[in-house]
Amino acid sequence: MSSSAEIRHTFFQECDDLLEALDDGLCEIDEGVSDQSFDPETVNAVFRAVHSIKGGAAAFGLDELVQFAHQFETVLDSMRSGNLIANEEVLKLCHRAADYLNDLVVAGRDDVDPPKGSSQDLVEKLSGLLPGKLEAKKEENSGAIGDFNFAPAAISIMDDVPGAVSVVSTYVVKFRPHKTLVSSGNDPLLLFRELSELGELKVSADFGGIESLESLEVDECRITWSLEVDTNLSELEIREVFEFVDGMCDLEISKSGPAALGNEQETNLNQLEVDANPRSDAKISSGNDSVGRGKSGSSGGGANATVRVNLELVDRLINMVGELVINQAVLTQCIDDAGVLDNGELSTSLAEFKNLARDIQESVMAIRAQSVKPLFQRMARIVREASELSGKEALFETEGETTEVDKTIIERLVDPLTHMIRNAVDHGLEAPDLRRSAGKLETGKVKLSAAHRSGRVIIEVSDDGSGINREKVFNIAVEKGLIPADSSLKDSEIDNLLFLPGFSTAEKVSNLSGRGVGMDVVRSAIQKLGGRVNIFSKPGAGTTMSISLPLTLAVLDGMVVDVAGQTMVVPITAIVETLRPDPEDIHKLGSENTVVSVRNKLVPVVDLGVVFGHRSSAVSLSEMVLLLVESDDAMSWALAVDQIFDQRQVVIKGLESNYGYVPGVAAATILGDGNIALIIDPEETARRSDKPSESMSILAMEGK
Amino acid sequence: MALRDSLQILVVDDMATSRSLIIMALEEIGIKKIDFSVDGKSALQSLSTRPAHLVISDYNMPEMDGLHLLHALRNGPATKGVGFILVSGRVDQKIISTGKQLGMNNFIQKPFTTPQMKDCIQAVVGPL
Repeated sequence: MSSSAEIRHTFFQECDDLLEALDDGLCEIDEGVSDQSFDPETVNAVFRAVHSIKGGAAAFGLDELVQFAHQFETVLDSMRSGNLIANEEVLKLCHRAADYLNDLVVAGRDDVDPPKGSSQDLVEKLSGLLPGKLEAKKEENSGAIGDFNFAPAAISIMDDVPGAVSVVSTYVVKFRPHKTLVSSGNDPLLLFRELSELGELKVSADFGGIESLESLEVDECRITWSLEVDTNLSELEIREVFEFVDGMCDLEISKSGPAALGNEQETNLNQLEVDANPRSDAKISSGNDSVGRGKSGSSGGGANATVRVNLELVDRLINMVGELVINQAVLTQCIDDAGVLDNGELSTSLAEFKNLARDIQESVMAIRAQSVKPLFQRMARIVREASELSGKEALFETEGETTEVDKTIIERLVDPLTHMIRNAVDHGLEAPDLRRSAGKLETGKVKLSAAHRSGRVIIEVSDDGSGINREKVFNIAVEKGLIPADSSLKDSEIDNLLFLPGFSTAEKVSNLSGRGVGMDVVRSAIQKLGGRVNIFSKPGAGTTMSISLPLTLAVLDGMVVDVAGQTMVVPITAIVETLRPDPEDIHKLGSENTVVSVRNKLVPVVDLGVVFGHRSSAVSLSEMVLLLVESDDAMSWALAVDQIFDQRQVVIKGLESNYGYVPGVAAATILGDGNIALIIDPEETARRSDKPSESMSILAMEGK
Repeated sequence: MALRDSLQILVVDDMATSRSLIIMALEEIGIKKIDFSVDGKSALQSLSTRPAHLVISDYNMPEMDGLHLLHALRNGPATKGVGFILVSGRVDQKIISTGKQLGMNNFIQKPFTTPQMKDCIQAVVGPL
């Protein structure tokens, strides 16, 4: 059935679930630890999770994992039995142990050496929790069998199958509805269906009561039925099926002795003796059919109705659906070109096809969507570690854990989020004494939230620290030559200086954040996902970093536009409005910059044709269409394009693996006519355009 | 015809990994008729419709652990004679003695090798 490698694979999948259950359980205990009000069953579940990991690990020879799990399990066991009182100290250690267990599982899975470092200390602390005599014993290795003196079972295979079901019997139900049964809204079929759930059902109808057509009353029931049901349930339960038609029918239930299953038992016996008889085999399997169904239902019923699917299969499906969408666009175009779209039926079918393709796509996307909960749980660990290393107490809060995001996005968020969370603890929160003198609680707060907002996912990391010290940031940026000393920057622009490459505000490089990785790495990681990141800060009250991400990396709704003869796609989510400007609304600023006045607000105009080098200078703006785009920090630009072709869903084809990150270009897509069009990143394009907006746009300078 | 061809075994374990490991060992031994349940309750249900000669059950399961399952089996008129082997990650004398009192037929510690599992089953049902 399954090879050892497959089971190993299953084991590590199962470990993920178990570790999650472990984390969940510990958090649940956390909540009730102050007054010991947590459910003892939770401790049990936590213990079981660790125990199961240990059990599987032993089978695959993951010794270090087994040893550690054993130690951990012993602690949990004494907590379970009440020998160890769960207090905050103990739980903190348990969390750390769970984290380390996670490391060991990952190391085992990737077949690498487990992380060294704190393990020895952790083991010592864990055993320190145990009262002396309960110290974790080295696992006794006595799997030998003879030692226990068990009685062999009195099983005689040749005689009988032990535990054979003898209680299944056949009931014959005579069901004679009164004339009013149907007219009062009852349907015999429903009753039969319900009855068939009790066991194998045979129905025969007697049409004898039906009169000639002339005298037939259509709402009177003249048929009587004879029902035979094989079940191990009692007559009472059969009667219950007919409870609702009580008084509207005559019911006669009789037991006709042992059912076919009794015979089957005999056959079974035969089969045990002469297995070579294929006919009896066939009989068994057919006879067992209904039973088998019942069984699978019962064993599957309690568990989650989910299937584990190889991710590759899902990705292949997504790819194919993507091709289908492209194909549908091609087809639409062909039909359009052929000039037969006037045909009403054709265009209706085509529209249906389009809807269907979209539905399929959405459903497939939903398969890839996962809740951010596991990601958030990992971050809880990062907070724990960071607060331990920095000596700052931090409370971690999460919101919107059930928000679903594409799996790939979740995976690629781990690194940037880790960095942001570390930053929040390390740089965001103040040291406890500073907090106290500022009149805040000594324990800082770091909050991670996720939410869907207008077709995108917003993930925010916020802290209640002192906020960004803008003066310091500004000075450092000048010092490092990142900006001219005489720059006048808006607050939000100063905040965003943190994203410049090579920027680090920490005076002493701490163990946590100062790893040579700056926030610029965070930003480029987010940008690669088609996302944006922004910082908002309030002096004294804290900092919020906000990531805005697309829901999926596979498709987007785009506006297909013409830019100097090139077809390009602008994501719809970025576009606030489109307009054709009046000549009097267009103003020149200096020799190169142009702004357009939109409801008395001046918005810089960015000619996409010029930015992408498709033409050298702007043509008359009044003949062009402007797409108004807005960034998360409320900056707006007007992107000038020659015309708008269409608005449609396009399949995203990444360019990164072939071309690396191209500034301003998010990806590419294949159009209906088979041509390739670039999907632009409007904000990035605008920021990178050579025409700085009102003031010095700091981000425009980046990378120059 | 060998006993291993006709012996009907029900494996009860909530964890897919250890379930698969038991089943793999049984398959290596040459057992043909293997069924499984994911917890004690569905094991009881399964046995009421599809009898088995031998139940191999994990000890550590949610809600109904292996010994509770054994207790329920021994108290069911139809299942009181079924063979019962308990699988556990650790050798806990308390579990073993309770098991013995309840009528456990054998015990095997995880991790086990296929020959160990074979010996363990043979000690209960005779030569396979």
